[in-house]
Amino acid sequence: MAGRGKLIAVIGDEDTCTGFLLGGVGELNKNRKPNFLVVEKDTSITEIEETFKSFLSRNDIGIILINQYIAEMIRHAIDGHMQSIPAVLEIPSKEHPYDASKDSILRRAKGMFSAEDFR
Amino acid sequence: MGVSELEESSMLLDEKLLRFMDQLESLEEKRATLNSLIEQGWFSMSKARYSMGNKHVSPLQYASEIEPLVCVHAKTLDSGDVDFCTEREKQKSCNEVGKDNGSIEDIGPQEEGVRRRIKSPKDMTEKEASERTSSEKAPEVTPVRKSEKNPQQDPLKWFGILVPQSLKHAQSAFKKVIELSAEIATLQTAVLNTRQDLKHSMKDKHILLQEASANKLDKVSTK
Repeated sequence: MAGRGKLIAVIGDEDTCTGFLLGGVGELNKNRKPNFLVVEKDTSITEIEETFKSFLSRNDIGIILINQYIAEMIRHAIDGHMQSIPAVLEIPSKEHPYDASKDSILRRAKGMFSAEDFR
Repeated sequence: MGVSELEESSMLLDEKLLRFMDQLESLEEKRATLNSLIEQGWFSMSKARYSMGNKHVSPLQYASEIEPLVCVHAKTLDSGDVDFCTEREKQKSCNEVGKDNGSIEDIGPQEEGVRRRIKSPKDMTEKEASERTSSEKAPEVTPVRKSEKNPQQDPLKWFGILVPQSLKHAQSAFKKVIELSAEIATLQTAVLNTRQDLKHSMKDKHILLQEASANKLDKVSTK
């Protein structure tokens, strides 16, 4: 992968993963673990969290795309990720539209601005 | 001197705050575009599923070996911001693939003419020689399985040879989403860095304010 850049990982429902794989982000072969996880109704939170942590520990992943409703299930793990790489992007799903107030990055950015801060 | 430092610090804070607000606004605009593109992609995929069948556009169609066609380069700048940019690999066209593998699929008997069933010794030696030459030619005429030798296949081909236009539209929408994701990732890191910067500058300003008020009290007490 050196010289080829980093991968874009996806943790999402069937449609999200299929869409992004159509876009060409997927990697799956015998030697390496896949860079995507299709989350179904019976996928456990433990599995999602383990996959997310495994993506964080890989040095060949630059961006992690995750449906926001799945991100809510592992919010503590996402909030604990402070590094710039890999970047974590929360995206909407078909049944759960994007809510900016739940986004970890935006909450951290907006922070607790008080009147004192603007004096 | 203290007052001018305070003024400078305030101006710097104002600049950073304006930059922060601009970045947030830009981020929200790109987010809205991303969400809309994703929705377009899903809609097109649903149309494709309607015409092809439910099971024909699903993870069951994923190839057993997939090579990534797009990667992202992350560059850390001096300011601490990270710049993400996508790079898409050029897919070889079908003609180029055939030429690269150096083979043209050739089906059928290599030898023309009628074959003799009763073999004379002379014919045997001739036949052995011809078999040798045909075995030398064999590697050239082995049918090529493109899926094995060319893993960088267009993912569209997983769903069939003739796919509906709606699936192509879905692919095009998701390709744009991927490019936009890199831009949003860049903006996100920039927003977080600017926020940290603002925090530190505010702390510095508070220290300067405290020093300024302490100096005023000293002056008043000496008078």
